[in-house]
Amino acid sequence: MRIQLNPEKCTGCQICEAFCSFKKERAVWPARSRISVLKWEKEGVFIPFVCQQCERAACYEVCPVGAIARNEETGAMEVDESRCLGCKMCVTACPFGGVAYDPDRGRAIKCDLCGGQPECVKMCPTGALSFEREEKNALARKRQGAERLAKYIDAIGR
Amino acid sequence: MRYQGYTGKYLEVDLTTGRIETRPVEDKLAETYLGANGFGTRLLWERVGPEVDPLSPENIIVFATGPLNGTLMPNSGRMEVITKSPLTGIYGDSNAGGFLGPELKFAGVDFVVFSGRAAAPVYLRIEDGRAELRDARHLWGKDTFETEELIQKELRDPGIKVACIGPAGENLVRYACIQATMSRSFGRVGGGAVMGSKNLKALAVRGFGPVRIADPEKFYEVATRSHFGIRGNDIYPAVSRYGTPGIVSIMNGIGRFPTKNFQLGGYDQADKINAEALREQYFVKDVACYGCPVACDKIYRVDEGPYAGTEVRSFEYETLGGYGASILNPRLDSIIKAGDLCDRLGLDVISVSRAISFAMELYDRGILKKEAFDGLNPVWGNIEDALELTRRIAYKQGIGALLSQGVRRAAAEIGHGADHYAMEVKGQEIASQDGRAQQSMGLAHVTSSRGADHLKGFPTIDETGYPTEARRRYGEQYLPDMADPRSTKFKGFLIKDGEDYAAVVDAVGTCKSGGNFVLAQLYWDDVAGAVRYATGMELDADGLKVIGERIVNLQRAYNALHGISRKDDRLPKRLLTEPNYQSTKEGSVCRLEEMLPEYYNLRGWDAENGLPTVARLRQLALDDVVERLGPKLKP
Repeated sequence: MRIQLNPEKCTGCQICEAFCSFKKERAVWPARSRISVLKWEKEGVFIPFVCQQCERAACYEVCPVGAIARNEETGAMEVDESRCLGCKMCVTACPFGGVAYDPDRGRAIKCDLCGGQPECVKMCPTGALSFEREEKNALARKRQGAERLAKYIDAIGR
Repeated sequence: MRYQGYTGKYLEVDLTTGRIETRPVEDKLAETYLGANGFGTRLLWERVGPEVDPLSPENIIVFATGPLNGTLMPNSGRMEVITKSPLTGIYGDSNAGGFLGPELKFAGVDFVVFSGRAAAPVYLRIEDGRAELRDARHLWGKDTFETEELIQKELRDPGIKVACIGPAGENLVRYACIQATMSRSFGRVGGGAVMGSKNLKALAVRGFGPVRIADPEKFYEVATRSHFGIRGNDIYPAVSRYGTPGIVSIMNGIGRFPTKNFQLGGYDQADKINAEALREQYFVKDVACYGCPVACDKIYRVDEGPYAGTEVRSFEYETLGGYGASILNPRLDSIIKAGDLCDRLGLDVISVSRAISFAMELYDRGILKKEAFDGLNPVWGNIEDALELTRRIAYKQGIGALLSQGVRRAAAEIGHGADHYAMEVKGQEIASQDGRAQQSMGLAHVTSSRGADHLKGFPTIDETGYPTEARRRYGEQYLPDMADPRSTKFKGFLIKDGEDYAAVVDAVGTCKSGGNFVLAQLYWDDVAGAVRYATGMELDADGLKVIGERIVNLQRAYNALHGISRKDDRLPKRLLTEPNYQSTKEGSVCRLEEMLPEYYNLRGWDAENGLPTVARLRQLALDDVVERLGPKLKP
């Protein structure tokens, strides 16, 4: 299972950020949200961005104390706060900015898929975020690609 | 401050001295006025007397959020600008969506008060509670999009949220707007001119902090219920798909789509400029304000023809009315161009388009002569010249200077009966909302505290007849009249309740369209719950109603200081005497006098002078108002 990002459906409302931060911090705090919507306002391009729980996870590889580990049940790479040194190596190593640092608690913070029921997906009003099995994700993408092809064939046919 | 939801701090910026102070927000202020327009009303009342010219340094302009801005509540991205209006000379406020309100909260500031006048153009930068005034001389003269982009580049942060004025504000056009976070506008009452008069080009905000919530579990429950309620509402799909342009066909169908400067109530070409045409030809993408599941905002782009390359967002029903039906222009791409032009120049679309239809009618009737227009040919439907007129208004060139004052002042200067064609109340132009086809709308225009306005009372229940909502909100005993746009019965009640509720919705920082009025999902109990759990204030629906009423009464009292009374609660003669035949076959006018007494009565205002009685003011704990207005008031 993975949080599938569908940027073409994102309206930039940031409801995901508000609810993610609220679940994790008990305050509405987009700067501490595990998911972020990257925005190109002028172009109208909005891309929700969140840890994709890599197979070969740089954060996991680089952690000197083994504070990051996969939750076998959900597939999420989780930070064990009791072990985390706050050394920020994982923050530096992740090529996507998937791990952030909380200066107040001195710990790394990242998406943990909310134990298998991601809050951001629950609240997203447009389907820009979905939580699906990998096989379904792949099929959905293929279908999107095929739809473009179908339109193209239709246009040529006429 | 003991309450959550607020940041507990505000900024006091004296532009004359350049001094910026951070001050605490008093508990008492939050308890009595809640936020945003409530705060602004109180500040105007205390600090800007009737002797102050709106464009002088002594006026203040307040950018204010409410306790729900930047929270989990749906559509909690809307904030208020409050100032004495240079258009009307009385109380003025304007509301915009987008992201500025939440950002200000995340930056740790509830509101900002600007006073004085800077010696040279400046802008205020706020980041996480720290604020500085920065040189804006290089930004002066730039349009609003250029200004936003230049500030983001200069501060090397694409996430910075900017509110700014364009050339219209700099040139003190009396209905210049303030643009905020990509095309959203504080459109009405001329706040842009007040900024211009203060040499204040922009406000740039960035924040990385939290908005804290008093009772997280209960608040979460109210917020999620509200989100899913809105998403499950019957009209959610339509509002979400079309936004406000969706009502063009509906309004035209009931003769409530002002055409030819209100000579008609419907436009025979309306299907060329309706939401379906817009979506089919120009739709690019849905865009949302902060926290909004509706996303009524859209990007539209023109790819072909003389306006190819034009792109707009926050493109509303009012632009289609103002630059379409009201000037008899059926070319949709040109209306998109007009929307873009107004955004860039920083003009209120409603007022400027009404000034143009006013000028076209005066020309048509021979009251304004060809020479007055400097080579332009302002005949009905001539959109090219209407666009040029828009530019001349922003730069106050030729006749543009005359029209830049608003139709009331322009009519007074022109004479020869021009005032009959000036579609305004208390100096503010009437939006594309015809009180002849919907009686309650006529009442809303006259009782609004900021001059002609459809959004203060915001009567949506009887607009096209929502009997289900009318029953749910008010009960069976008010039907069928409450849901009948042509009936005047119960409309005083509808507007009074609407004004009180709208005052609260604005004060907390949520959206009237996306949940409270157009999509009438949430009501007193929902907002009371959200405020209670967000702030920790002991507050229920009844308490909230008192606050709403207090805000409305203080606005009326403020206007009374400026000489406003019963005599000013009037509509243009056209709406009272020239029947609208698109609304009903026999023709309908606005029967204002059937509704006003009920309204005054429910308000506890004296029906003769139209002012709050001493008794009502005391009930609302507005004793200082009683003292200040003194002999003007009846017991």
